[in-house]
Amino acid sequence: MTSLATILPAPFDLGAHRAGTPQRAGALTMVPVYGPVRPGVVPPRSGLKLHRVVGYGRVELHNGAREGVAIVPLHIGYIQDAAQNHALCASALMGAGQTRRFDDACCVQAAQGGYLEGRDQWFFVLPLELRAQALRLRGRHDHAKLWPDISELNRASGLPSRGHLEQILSRRRAVLTQFRSRLELMPGQVGALFFVGDRFAGLELAPDPAYFAEVWMALVCFAYGVAAWRAEPEPGAARPYDADSLAGLRAELARDRAARLAEVVSWLPAPAGDVRLVEEERYLDLRLSTLTGGGLAGQVVTEHGRTVYASVFAAE
Amino acid sequence: MDIPPLLSHFRTHDVPLELRRGRGSVWDDAELHRSAQQRDPEGYALLALVPGVLAWQRARVLLATLAAAQDGLDEATRATLGKAVRALMFGLPPAHAVTALLALRRLRANHKHTTRAIVAFVLEHPEADALIEARRPALADCFEHALGKATARACARLAAEGDTGSAYLRRSLLRFTADPAAAIARLRALYGPGTYGAPAPREPPAPLDPITEHPPVVTPTNRGDIAATLVHLYRGGPAAELLPALRGYVARATRGLPRLAANVAVVLDASGSMRGYGDREWAVMSQAVALRLVLAEVCERLTVVETGGTARAPAGSADLAVALLDALGTGPDLVVVVTDGYENHLPGDLARVVATLPRAGAGTPVVLCQATFTRGDDLTLRDPAPELPRRPFWHQDDFAGLLPWVFAHCRPGRAWLRTTMLARLEGART
Repeated sequence: MTSLATILPAPFDLGAHRAGTPQRAGALTMVPVYGPVRPGVVPPRSGLKLHRVVGYGRVELHNGAREGVAIVPLHIGYIQDAAQNHALCASALMGAGQTRRFDDACCVQAAQGGYLEGRDQWFFVLPLELRAQALRLRGRHDHAKLWPDISELNRASGLPSRGHLEQILSRRRAVLTQFRSRLELMPGQVGALFFVGDRFAGLELAPDPAYFAEVWMALVCFAYGVAAWRAEPEPGAARPYDADSLAGLRAELARDRAARLAEVVSWLPAPAGDVRLVEEERYLDLRLSTLTGGGLAGQVVTEHGRTVYASVFAAE
Repeated sequence: MDIPPLLSHFRTHDVPLELRRGRGSVWDDAELHRSAQQRDPEGYALLALVPGVLAWQRARVLLATLAAAQDGLDEATRATLGKAVRALMFGLPPAHAVTALLALRRLRANHKHTTRAIVAFVLEHPEADALIEARRPALADCFEHALGKATARACARLAAEGDTGSAYLRRSLLRFTADPAAAIARLRALYGPGTYGAPAPREPPAPLDPITEHPPVVTPTNRGDIAATLVHLYRGGPAAELLPALRGYVARATRGLPRLAANVAVVLDASGSMRGYGDREWAVMSQAVALRLVLAEVCERLTVVETGGTARAPAGSADLAVALLDALGTGPDLVVVVTDGYENHLPGDLARVVATLPRAGAGTPVVLCQATFTRGDDLTLRDPAPELPRRPFWHQDDFAGLLPWVFAHCRPGRAWLRTTMLARLEGART
């Protein structure tokens, strides 16, 4: 296993986290991350609910758990048929039983009437291509603020150039959701490194395996799956190994795998230098900070200097 | 006769057998059928009985078998061919069988076994009365080809005049029939005026394939009894109640199947995706385990190599490539890879290992049985080794066609196939 001590800039400490064996699906490589568990954080699907949409760009979430703080996953969004789908621009910390209104949410479906209701909902995480801009736009009250970027993503994906993220998330759902099966969540996994092609795409860390399992589909299928879907390589012909026995074949396979693992390690980003950190909010000893610079962006939750949650992605 | 590709052709080449005026019969795969029939007449005819073979392919087998001479074949083989022909004639939709019999006329193919078969079809078909009513000219053509026009018409004239057993009638016709009285009545109808617009029977009177379930909505528990019971076990249902039932369902599914005298290795994908999630949770894994249980009953020796988690607790990623090497290390006659088709651990490795096997001196046949949720699953991104023979399955009903296809890939499987299909012939109702 590879140490992740240097992947995030100081003062974030990932020294106790380790990278596991990579898995690949087309252009998407996922390296599972294992590490310390921080119990007591409410998972996003079973504990956190979309309470209601107050108006365009204004969304209420509710931490329905009896106890435990909820860490709202960065760039979480909710989808429901025939309604304005919204995504949040930032993460947040919410105490048990707390309801909180986010006035800087962005609509991800241009010119679609109706408000999301709390029922029949499923959540996603904004695609990688939109995340840096969404993070930049946090705090700005304009429900249409992400439409130009969504239009551009649609256009680049060969779809009609409109501010409808639903064009990708729902209509390509059958392809995107296969990333959940093409890449397997590992027992005990608390995070993942994602690469699209040979480029670092993101690091996702959760407080514990249960939390990560609940956000896994949204990450692998939508946050990183969209970029991978757009870069899906054509399957090539299988090249035989140079082996004249089963033992030789086994050895060649092991050698080839070791080389590929080393290659994945080489894709890890160098320790970021010029990085800016801004604390956004705190809940007891938890600190939510925004990280920008050094080709990275994202948000990180720490507790006594130890990283509890992270969603950090490549930002050009 | 190379059975696996021929069986795949029988299952997939769905092109009608056409008769065109002045051009004889038209079938684009005539040479394939002709050479297979010549190499192994009995094996070829029996192969058409495998569940899942397409009706038009069965019609071709019927045609090729009836068109070929039986010189040099022993009595036992001729008897088997006779039963297979009868099973095909009455197991096909009547229109398909009539087309094959008319094609015999175009080919000018006539042997004693051809005559016997055509007379049986025209006069002994379980729905002969309705068929004669609707297809009188075509059946008369077949009949006259079988007996010769002059003889056929002479028999018809005698029957119309009230003859029910003269020496001529017995020698020319009745010796080919099992029920002379019914034959005489139907012969009169065959040369009678007929009824314009009479509907022809469309369904085979003795279908060759078992009846299969087609649930409008597929759920984890309507995909066969074995899988349904396994789903309840996975969900934590009462083992004391479910396990005996499971054993009973497996016994029922394998009843009458001969043992395969082979060492079979199964690579069982037990990764997280096999477990599934949401409404489909356990559906795919349970069907894969159902196949494993059936194979364990049928194969003399079965070795299972699990990858990912375990069959009891599927989780993690599947390393199909190393699992295949492990399976080959047990020295099997056949390796069956059972997977949903998602190769998580460095995809492409299985394909590369498979591509290397010939040069690594591993001639063991390897097949891939792909567990799916429904028959309509999109498998575009789920083909981990395109060079491997692959067949999907989603329901327990699929096992009837899947097992012959799997076993046909190994040498002991050919004897199993022959025994199984002969048993089907003996169990046929017509």
